[in-house]
Amino acid sequence: MSRINKNVILALLTLTSSAFLLFQLYYYKHYLSAKNGAGVSKSKGSQIGFDSTQWRAVKKFIMLTSSQNVPVFLIDPLILELINKDFEQVKNTSHGSTSECKFFCVPRDFTAFALRYHLWKNEEGWFRIAENMGFQCLKIESKDPRLDGIDSLSGTEIPLHYICRLANHAIHLVVFHERSGNYLWHGHLRLKGRMDRKFVPFRKLQFGRYPGAFDRPELQQITVDGLEVLIPKDPVHFLEEIPHSRFIECRYKEARAFFQQYLDDNTVEAMAFRKSAKELLQLAARTLKKLGVRFWLSSGTCLGWYRQCNIIPYSKDVDLGIFIQDYKSDIISAFQDVGLPLKHKFGKVEDSLELSFQGKDDVKLDIFFFYEETDHMWNGGTQAKTGKKFKYLFPKFTLCWTEFVDMKIHVPCETIDYIEANYGKTWKIPVKTWDWKRSPPNVRPNGVWSISEWDEVIQLY
Amino acid sequence: MDDWKPSSLIKPFGARKKRSWYLTWKYILTNQRALRRFCQTGAVLFLLVTVIVNIKLILDTRRAISEANGDSEAEQDYDEALGRLEPSRRRGSGPRRVLDVEVYSSRSKVYVAVDGTTVLEDEAREQGRGIHVIVLNQATGHVMAKRVFDTYSPHEDEAMVLFLNMVAPGRVLICTVKDEGSFHLKDTAKALLRSLGSQAGPALGWRDTWAFVGRKGGPVLGEKHSKSPALSSWGDPVLLKTDVPLSSAEEAECHWADTELNRRRRRFCSKVEGYGSVCSCKDPTPIEFSPDPLPDNKVLNVPVAVIAGNRPNYLYRMLRSLLSAQGVSPQMITVFIDGYYEEPMDVVALFGLRGIQHTPISIKNARVSQHYKASLTATFNLFPEARFAVVLEEDLDIAVDFFSFLSQSIHLLEEDDSLYCISAWNDQGYEHTAEDPALLYRVETMPGLGWVLRKSLYKEELEPKWPTPEKLWDWDMWMRMPEQRRGRECIIPDVSRSYHFGIVGLNMNGYFHEAYFKKHKFNTVPGVQLRNVDSLKKEAYEAEIHRLLSEAEVLDHSKNPCEDSFLPDTEGHTYVAFIRMEKDDDFVTWTQLAKCLHIWDLDVRGNHRGLWRLFRKKNHFLVVGVPASPYSVKKPPSITPIFLEPPPKEEGAPGAAEQT
Repeated sequence: MSRINKNVILALLTLTSSAFLLFQLYYYKHYLSAKNGAGVSKSKGSQIGFDSTQWRAVKKFIMLTSSQNVPVFLIDPLILELINKDFEQVKNTSHGSTSECKFFCVPRDFTAFALRYHLWKNEEGWFRIAENMGFQCLKIESKDPRLDGIDSLSGTEIPLHYICRLANHAIHLVVFHERSGNYLWHGHLRLKGRMDRKFVPFRKLQFGRYPGAFDRPELQQITVDGLEVLIPKDPVHFLEEIPHSRFIECRYKEARAFFQQYLDDNTVEAMAFRKSAKELLQLAARTLKKLGVRFWLSSGTCLGWYRQCNIIPYSKDVDLGIFIQDYKSDIISAFQDVGLPLKHKFGKVEDSLELSFQGKDDVKLDIFFFYEETDHMWNGGTQAKTGKKFKYLFPKFTLCWTEFVDMKIHVPCETIDYIEANYGKTWKIPVKTWDWKRSPPNVRPNGVWSISEWDEVIQLY
Repeated sequence: MDDWKPSSLIKPFGARKKRSWYLTWKYILTNQRALRRFCQTGAVLFLLVTVIVNIKLILDTRRAISEANGDSEAEQDYDEALGRLEPSRRRGSGPRRVLDVEVYSSRSKVYVAVDGTTVLEDEAREQGRGIHVIVLNQATGHVMAKRVFDTYSPHEDEAMVLFLNMVAPGRVLICTVKDEGSFHLKDTAKALLRSLGSQAGPALGWRDTWAFVGRKGGPVLGEKHSKSPALSSWGDPVLLKTDVPLSSAEEAECHWADTELNRRRRRFCSKVEGYGSVCSCKDPTPIEFSPDPLPDNKVLNVPVAVIAGNRPNYLYRMLRSLLSAQGVSPQMITVFIDGYYEEPMDVVALFGLRGIQHTPISIKNARVSQHYKASLTATFNLFPEARFAVVLEEDLDIAVDFFSFLSQSIHLLEEDDSLYCISAWNDQGYEHTAEDPALLYRVETMPGLGWVLRKSLYKEELEPKWPTPEKLWDWDMWMRMPEQRRGRECIIPDVSRSYHFGIVGLNMNGYFHEAYFKKHKFNTVPGVQLRNVDSLKKEAYEAEIHRLLSEAEVLDHSKNPCEDSFLPDTEGHTYVAFIRMEKDDDFVTWTQLAKCLHIWDLDVRGNHRGLWRLFRKKNHFLVVGVPASPYSVKKPPSITPIFLEPPPKEEGAPGAAEQT
């Protein structure tokens, strides 16, 4: 009996386990195919890591955008960095031959893409299809800043950000809008009252903390981890732009209020001056950009931007600032080449450098070089007749983008401090007589150039 | 761990079944030790494999579960957020089932109040005469349309019939008469009122007061009427108070297939009335047109600015024709609405377009002018890459080949600095004076009414000195001034690519429209290939004109140019006539000639250096002003230029001669 029992038990065990095994094999196969999505062929059994949620979310997102013709490109700094390191290899890899998921499987909370809004044709149905595919999406809209400069227009809101979540990974789609001045702009990600603040860890987002401005990148198609994506042709340049992309809008409302109080000068002379100043500024910006020299709007031009979003018609010149560490010796010749002869040069690279170029129609271009100290910045001035030196002190500042006379251009982010240092608390009141040696509250006497140096530090043409 | 359950079920089932198997095999196996051993080791191996697979499965499932948990936690958060929202939404939508409607009709005042809210009140003098009609949504009680038909005047009753026929069945109709509404209320209109169930409507008499509430196609919900006792007096004021039962939302809506387009349609149709078959439940008219794309479309990326006011029905008609034009790209269209009007915005949303509202600045013509400026600036801001913009108005029909026409000609604007604009409108292109859809002209006047503006012209010249609000100028008159135009010209087609259908407007009325716009020729032929476009460039055009004049047969100048027989009954000939024009601004004879030819005579339009080109009886007809025109050299010495005497001055001139 015991023998029979043993046999019975053994057979029973065998049968159960085989039934069990069959079931498990079936279930396992089922489970695997469900996990990797429909598109992954089972033959690529050797692939490593392709089952990560990040990769799956990106894959689904790319399927969605290509089927719906959503014009997107990859801007995720983390992934662009990785791609950039391995650029040659990535470029040479053809579709499907990757065996290891190296980029999109890296653990992270978000993958950032940019949407080129002006190329987007079917905005309407997209959201629903995304949700049908399993994404949970959040749309952040706001009013269109391009209409802000125009009195009294109210448009429909434009989308600024989409965040689409799949499992525990989210796609951050940053909407890039075309702006006057040949650049792309994205908005500030601001959660409105009724939005779900826990939707995703918003603090970890790479874009949207501030509005941003970028040069319009050329794009290229590459295959990364078996997925075809567009990325900027020059990822290095794009990556460099990201940390300095913060954009500030001109204060159009305040500017309108200013013009209500003081009325705009629309005389023929004022319009002519504005036109030539604008052309000079555009020419200078082009030239400096070609040289790769950072610059910003300074003094009167900066005040004009901040106070009235325009060039002050009686200012008579265009003022730019450049950090002395960005100085290049070929600045003067470059300006001469584009038809802007040097008018005077004061100081030297080590101290109080200031260049002045003669533009068309008697409009002057002044370039002030800024020197950095531990707790402040300064630029120098020189009185040609006496050789007296002056110093203009500014609190430390960083640079932001803004739009001015149809250009993307730098201004100090801490504009108000910069302007108040230069023009005092009463900068809002237009002043037509301005003595650069006495009027600015931040001017300090700084000794006299020794006569022996005059030939070098005071050059008039 | 639900997944494991089926296996525990299989166990007893399988065991029971296998027991009988075992009994038959028992005897065989006990006698064959080797075989049994073999089976035993096999079974053990089998078990081992099972264990390994099991372990792998457990590991995998674990990971899957932890992920799924993460998911569901997140989902819960989200659901909570939604849950918090929902109650408030529900609270708001506890609808009342009955509306309480008050309608008042009298000589000098009408008003309609729904649930205590006044939705119509008109007690202005000399205004709002006739039958006021209000349409309410039968499910929500919202006002969907508000119209007044001055049925004291002719043809207004036809408009009322048209409108009432368009209203969907089931809607609540409210009618009330102010002052007089019967004088031109014809039988068709009366029959329609009868079909609505009205007793007094069909019998409405001179200066009667009348208030009516009824359901379209359904029962009358209330009616009051007071007859006028005598010709010189009015009926007593009547006040109708009635309850209107609301029906359910499902009944009020059509059951269209659930598509993105129909969602737009539903939103539109539940808000407004009076757009006809776009809201009909069966077979509604399409709101997406997908016209053929244009091969090699040069204007695909040119933004289109539609300048609109509060004429939503016009806007609707205009957008339909625009979106049906070949080569249109809807995402380039922006509609600029002058004022915070809802209905035009609804129309824009119906077609899925971008709409921008503009806070009105200034008054009358200056308001239009400021609206233009803001719209143009906004257009170039929204499309910073664009070098041109197409400017349209809400009261234009757009020809099917509008974009094809622009695509073929837009390069001229880039290559020829002496051009000011390209316009789709020929001021002198009437049914009897325009013939050739492939022909283009150069003219010194800016016609507007569907035109292309160069960005550089706007940004560098026009925008900085655009007339300020206090100047009360017409934008188009200002643009035509020599300071702005600076001798530049516009390209126009012989046969217009736009049609001006608006009869209500700031500077427009029925008479004016009938006289100057109704008979305008409008191209309906698709894909017209323009002829010899490059000959429109400055020098080439002069050569072309000289060639034409050399070819042209000189007409008999002894005949009266106003007579039909002035031109011979031929076809395809080119004729020339010389009229007197002492100086560049002497248009005395031309104006008289224009008047008798029944073309635009309110100011001078369509001239090019003292030359006008038009068609008469299918012949090309050239008119040269002598001696001011440089083409006077072509005049044979024997010909004396025609002089037409202006009529003696008694000018009760018909107002402003412009077209916005």
